Amino acid sequence: MSQRLGFDRVSKVFEGTGDDADFVAFDDITLEAAPSEFLAVVGPSGCGKSTLLRMAAGLMDPTRGQIVLDGRPVVEPPPGVIYLFQQYAKSLFAWRTVIDNVMFPVESAPRARRGELRAQCRDYLRQVGLGGFEDKYPWQLSGGMQQRVAIARALAADPQVLLLDEPFSAVDALTRMELQTLVLQLWERRKFTAILVTHDVEEAIFLADRIAVLGARPTSLREVIDVGLPRPRDQFATREDPRFLKLRHHITTTLLTGNDGHVASA
Amino acid sequence: MSRRRDRIGPGLLGLVSPIVVLCIWELASRLGWTNPVLLPSPSQVIAALFALMASGAIVSPLVHTVGLFAVGYGLAVPIGTGIGIAMATSRTLYGLLEPLVEIVRPIPKPALVPVLFLFLGIGKATMITLVVLAAVFPVLISTFQGVRGLDPVLLETARTLQVSRARTIVSVILPASLPMVLAGMRVALGIGLVLVILAEMLAGEDGIGFRILDLERSFQIRDMFAWIVVLVALGGVLTKLFDIAERRLVPWRGRS
Repeated sequence: MSQRLGFDRVSKVFEGTGDDADFVAFDDITLEAAPSEFLAVVGPSGCGKSTLLRMAAGLMDPTRGQIVLDGRPVVEPPPGVIYLFQQYAKSLFAWRTVIDNVMFPVESAPRARRGELRAQCRDYLRQVGLGGFEDKYPWQLSGGMQQRVAIARALAADPQVLLLDEPFSAVDALTRMELQTLVLQLWERRKFTAILVTHDVEEAIFLADRIAVLGARPTSLREVIDVGLPRPRDQFATREDPRFLKLRHHITTTLLTGNDGHVASA
Repeated sequence: MSRRRDRIGPGLLGLVSPIVVLCIWELASRLGWTNPVLLPSPSQVIAALFALMASGAIVSPLVHTVGLFAVGYGLAVPIGTGIGIAMATSRTLYGLLEPLVEIVRPIPKPALVPVLFLFLGIGKATMITLVVLAAVFPVLISTFQGVRGLDPVLLETARTLQVSRARTIVSVILPASLPMVLAGMRVALGIGLVLVILAEMLAGEDGIGFRILDLERSFQIRDMFAWIVVLVALGGVLTKLFDIAERRLVPWRGRS
């Protein structure tokens, strides 16, 4: 089961302190991810993409407008909306083994179900390619493996909506491709709604059904693009598809130019 | 080459200076440079120490001191951790407790001894209170700073995973700030021991502190020094035990 998550005329203003003026992070953004859709949000660095996701997760309130999850406004972090952080190392519990990290979301379940849940969590670890690492500690693993643990933990939390906050930007290029493929496989299997925030245009095209392109400050929605590339996607075939290259050209150009079509000065 | 020197370095090199001091002391004593009544030689002190151990007279004061320390420290650690976490996680409790903490914390705790004598009498209650008062603040402050310094990502992870506030405190905040709690406990260990000895000197009827002062007053200087050696050893053993416990409790320290 998956849920519909929408931003309804969302604005976010950070109040300035002292002499600093108020900072408008977003102005009037309306955007919706349909159930089981993979939506990507791309924008220049510092445009506040993460702020958008944090509001979707209920970790931050919008100044105006609202976040709507299956028709209900989000005020607190809603169950089933799981956040995958860019800083995976800070998101994992260093004092817990890998399996106990994955068990964390289901620990308050009745004792009788513990054995069954543990077996399930072991299976999630196998799904992310970490079978056999159950009893290691996060700090004994590489960065890519740590993010895999975080992904397995997200699976254990039974995600209806998975929010991915530049989750692959801190790992090397090859690991990034592996993790992208992994997330796609899991998404195709579990059919959760996915919202990915990234500054990597190719990553967005490779993963998403639709891409929302954000403009410069105050950030507003420039364009929403249907990707339309066939699934299942493949790191080579998809990336070499002429439509992929055309999309990349178009989105990159949009990001580099201002609203009037001229290349923005730095 | 330098790597090898580093490895034998601290452990063995650290023994050099005490041994040199002891040799000079022994020599000075034997050559009659010092008054043997006031400053017995190390060998005489060691002989007194062995006699102390052989007679079994070491047991009762040692048990008294260790017991007093264990009770005081054992109370101070959970109290300090609890108040530290409470102040760091609740605005209301912070507002309520912060002024009180900042008033009591800077008081040199020995200054409170006469007050404690008045209200609690000369005995165990005063001694334990003194140790608790001294040991609680390092734990409290360090815990508070540890919790306040936790990465928001960690707490947001718990929030988005639908973990209750109580469970967040027990299974996320407490273990995550454990390295800082332990840092405070390490400081409290030293201060606690100092105050145990002081308390025994002022209000004890037994214990290492009581013995040291009592033997000085009855001019049994060799035995007095023997007890000081016992005290040094006790401090060393407690610190070593603490190191072992810390390494087991926070194996991830400095690695994540």
